[in-house]
Formats: sequence, structure tokens, C-alpha cells
Amino acid sequence: MPSGETDAQSRSGASSVRYEEATKQYPGTAEPAVDRLTLEVPAGEICVLVGPSGCGKTTAMRMVNRTVEISSGDVLIGERSVRDREPAQLRREIGYVIQQVGLFPHRTITENIGAVPQLLGWKKDRIRERSAELLELIGLDPELGDRYPAQLSGGQQQRVGVARALAADPLVMLMDEPFGAIDPINRERLQNEFLRLQAEIRKTVLFVTHDIDEAIKLGDRVAVLREGGRVEQYATPAELLMAPATEFVEDFVGADRALKRLALMRVGDINLWEAPLAHVGQATAEVRAKLAAPDVEVPYPLLVDGERRPLGWLSERDLSADVVPSRPDSPLGPVLERDDVMRDALADLLQGQSQYAPVVDREGRIAGVLSVEIISEFLASPEAKSEEQPAAERPHG
Amino acid sequence: MGSPLLLAAAGEVGGDFFRERSSGTLPCQANEAHLFCWDWARENLDRYGTPTVQHLEIVLISVLVGFAIAFALALIAHRTRWLQPPLLTATGVLYTIPSIAFFFLLLPVTGFGRDTAIIVLSAYTLQIIYRNTMLGLNNVPDSAKDAARGMGFTERQVLWKVELPLAVPEIIAGLRVATASTIAIATLVVLISAGGLGTEMYGSNFNFPTAIIIAAAIIGLMVLAFDLLFLTAQRLMTPWRKARPT
Repeated sequence: MPSGETDAQSRSGASSVRYEEATKQYPGTAEPAVDRLTLEVPAGEICVLVGPSGCGKTTAMRMVNRTVEISSGDVLIGERSVRDREPAQLRREIGYVIQQVGLFPHRTITENIGAVPQLLGWKKDRIRERSAELLELIGLDPELGDRYPAQLSGGQQQRVGVARALAADPLVMLMDEPFGAIDPINRERLQNEFLRLQAEIRKTVLFVTHDIDEAIKLGDRVAVLREGGRVEQYATPAELLMAPATEFVEDFVGADRALKRLALMRVGDINLWEAPLAHVGQATAEVRAKLAAPDVEVPYPLLVDGERRPLGWLSERDLSADVVPSRPDSPLGPVLERDDVMRDALADLLQGQSQYAPVVDREGRIAGVLSVEIISEFLASPEAKSEEQPAAERPHG
Repeated sequence: MGSPLLLAAAGEVGGDFFRERSSGTLPCQANEAHLFCWDWARENLDRYGTPTVQHLEIVLISVLVGFAIAFALALIAHRTRWLQPPLLTATGVLYTIPSIAFFFLLLPVTGFGRDTAIIVLSAYTLQIIYRNTMLGLNNVPDSAKDAARGMGFTERQVLWKVELPLAVPEIIAGLRVATASTIAIATLVVLISAGGLGTEMYGSNFNFPTAIIIAAAIIGLMVLAFDLLFLTAQRLMTPWRKARPT
């Protein structure tokens, strides 16, 4: 099929990857690690394999460069079976990035980047040129080329890892949790840089992660896998969020989706509860009557001043007096504002070990009460699951 | 050093062991307060030339032979992991044989002279060189090997381009210790008539320490010189180790 081959490699230096019932059965195990996986990754796209640990995503990825031998079925790069290739030769055409980076400590950055070109017998000048070019591409100072890996930060090392994988202009890139060991701030930066890079180089990328947020952010397509490398859903991130195909996908995507939404919400966006209010000098009998009302939401009276600014929570002992005291027994705990980000508010509640926190408006007047219960009810409600806006958040695609 | 047992045994075996000193008169002997006789040292320094060269030759050949064997064993054990414990035990057993017993055990087979000395001395280096080479190879980070294989290094390339260069510090550390101990033990090869600086130590009159002190000093210098040599070699071979995070 000569026409198929040119078609698959239509983009410069990228090939499609096709799994055809690819199976990996380790000796002495009952169930295959990957069971008849069938999946096609178009040339030039990022396909993220995501799933819980033990779902076979790394095994599936490693079949492509034969660091895991295929038991049955096949994996095709372009139209060529990887099983027909000599492993070392095959791997030199495939970029490989792993979580622990695996830079060679005894080689300079330039030599690290030039590792595959050296195996391919490139001339020294050409290797040096290519290394400098790649250092620039990944946004590292070319002067770092003469340093050793130990002299670079974790983030810089991982960038070099990506550059090394790109050195010989591979047809396919395999990336196994490449940003998994990086701190959250730098991880986000590296993800963004990687997307910018990919927009330029348009490689076919197989990217393994267990982080659904990362999958949604980076993938042109996302394959959600479960045990045995079974594909639960293979779709664009938007489809995945809006129409999870199975309960498994919904579980895998859902909880995270709602939590992520907390970061986008303000405390004022939610229906708050009302606490029975009490004033200094008020007869406690009145307050007790309010507490006894059948529709009371918060079982503790909140003491407020003349401007309805919260002063503290009244305890059983405060209420045993005749009139409400000016100094309540229990401290006020965290006070939230309507503009606070919901995720931070939840953190305040948990950190203050309080069940309830008064929410005030800009003038400091009581606007309602937030509780952990309200948040968890919100997360469980269908509203939280349907009001996503996934496509708008994505930086590309 | 002057144990009667050792001397008795040596006296029976070593033909030229107690040969009379040619320089007959010992100028400082009258005054026993002298620990070191400078006059004698000045006059007799040249007699250490040949033994020093012999000593060096024996040490160099022994360490080289020992290294070749231990290194090969380590590479084999690296491929064939189940061989590691038995090889460690085997080289360990060799190491525990007392040196004098080892010499005499070999005498009926290989006779007096340098060959026997080299066999025994190189046998002693096996343990430390083998163990350190294994240690170095095992210390190579898995991630570097995984990355190398994943990029298309063949197994041989992984060994020679990744694992061995990274094991150099441990290998050289092994060579340093092995060489230093070989230099020391080589003073005993005089017992089997293989020469070396032992000739000037055990052949001495024990009431006259000057001769022994000079031999010991040469040995000390030799150990220092080799240590320096190995350290320099390691510096040159492992520039990445002194690279500090910036």
C-alpha cells in the first residue's frame, strides 16, 4: 500500500500509530496486562492514555517502541508493523521521555541531546548544531549545553529530556508521565510550553498520565483506559467531559470536574444557609424559640452587633442565662466573604475545623452561613456536573 | 614482623633469606640510641634500587592481572545475575587465605619466584576489584538505563556508554585499595625468593632499624604515589562529578 504510507506521513516527520488487537500477556499472570487494544492515533496529534494505575496504559505505550514485547496483535507506525523492525533501530526513530527523565549524569547537556544522533552516526558538528537548535526550541540558554544534568533544576532537566527525544526528528514521541515528578507550578508551565512546542513541530505523541486534568489539557484525543487496557472512551476532551460514555468514565472524570469547578466559583454563587441571629441583651427565650423552629438550617445562634456584623456563636451555656451576653462562649472562627473563591473557603472551613462559617458582604454584614455540607451537596447535585465549559478553557485544538 | 615463627619458617624455605649484608660494618651500631643512621643511609641508598623496581613490577603485574580477571568476572556476573553471590563468596574465600600459607601451598605447583608471587597477589585483589565494579554497575540509576534502551542503545552500548562510565568512581576506588594492599603484601614475596623491598626488611639485623625504615618509607611513598595517580585519573575520567549545582 504505497499510497497509504505517504498518506500516513503527510505531515512532515510524523506517522500515525495504529494498535490492532495488540495484547500483552505476562507469563504467570491470569489476565493480560493489555487485552486486544485497538486504537488509532492520527499523525501529528497528541493522544493521551489516561487511567488508574494498573490499567495498562504504560504497557500499551511501551508496545510502540517494543520496550514491551507484543504477545499477539500488532502495532503499526505508518503502515509498518513494529514487529518487523529490529528493536534498537526502531527506537531510534521514536522519541522517548520518561518521568524520571533519565538524563545521563556523565554527559553534558549537549551530549545528552545528541545521544540518538550519535548512535545514528551523525557528524560531530551536525550534532552540536542540532543540540543548540533544540536548546533554543525548548527555551534554554545555549550556554547550559556545556553543563552536566546535576547542575540543572528538575524542570530544566525535563525540558532537556524532551529535547533529547526530539533530536533525531522522530516519527512518534512516547511520553510516560513526563511531568509527574515536577511541582504543580512548574508542571503547568511545562505543559504550556509543551503545547506551544507541539503547535510548532506537530509530532504524533502518545502521552501517558493518570491525571485527568493533564489529559484534558494536553490531549487532542483522550483514551480512558481501565484494567487490561480496555478503552472505555476514546474522544476529544470536550466530548469526554460533556458526554462520558460509561459510568467508569463519568467517575474518572466527574469528581475532578466538579472539584475543578470549585476553583472557578465564588462563595456568593451558592445558596447559603441562614443562622438564627441574636443580639446582645436580647432575652435568651426568644433565641431559643428561633432555634426550636422546624425549618432552622443552622442549629447554633449567631451573635451579631447593631450593624448585623457577626460577633460569635452562642453556646448552650450562653443560652442558659436570661439575656444574651456580650461576650459569647465560642470563638467566631473563620469569617468568609461573598467574593471568596469557593475552593479557598472550603480550605478555611477545613483548616478552622469549623462546621459553619458566617459569610459577610462588603460592609461586613452577615449574608449567610457556609458549611462543608452545603459544598458537598453542591458537588453531588446534577447542576455541578452539567455546567462545565471545557472547550473554552483549552489553550489549543 | 620479627615473630620467631615467621623467621623459622622463612629460614627453612628461603635460600638467600638470611644472606649476610655485604656492607658488613654498621657505623651506628655502637650507639644504640640511634634509631636512624644517616651515615649508613647515605652510603647504602643505592642498594634499594633493584628491590624497588622488582617490587613495582610485581605490584603492577599483579594488579593488572587481578583487574583483568575481576573485571571480566564482574561483567559476566552483571549479565548473569545468579552468578553474583557465588562469585562474591569465591573471591572472598581467596581473600581469607593467610598470605604465607597461600605462598607455601603454591610452592609445590609453581615453585619459587615471581610467578607464584603474582598468582597470590592478584588473587588477593580479586575480591575488592570485583566487589567495587559490581557496586558501581549496580549504582547506575535505572532511569538512565531505561532511557538509553528506550532511545535505541543496544545492550552492549548501554554497558559501555552508560553503565561503565558511571561506575568509574567505584572501580577506581577498588583499584586504589587493591593496589595499596598489594604494595604492602608484596613485602612478603621475599619468602619465596621473588625479591622486592621485603629483601631489605626481613633480611636485616633487627637491632638495626635503619634498613627497615628506609624500605618502609619507600613503600609508603609508593602507596602515596599510586593513590595520587588514581585520584588524578578519576578526576580526568569523571569531570561530571565535580560539577556542582548552580
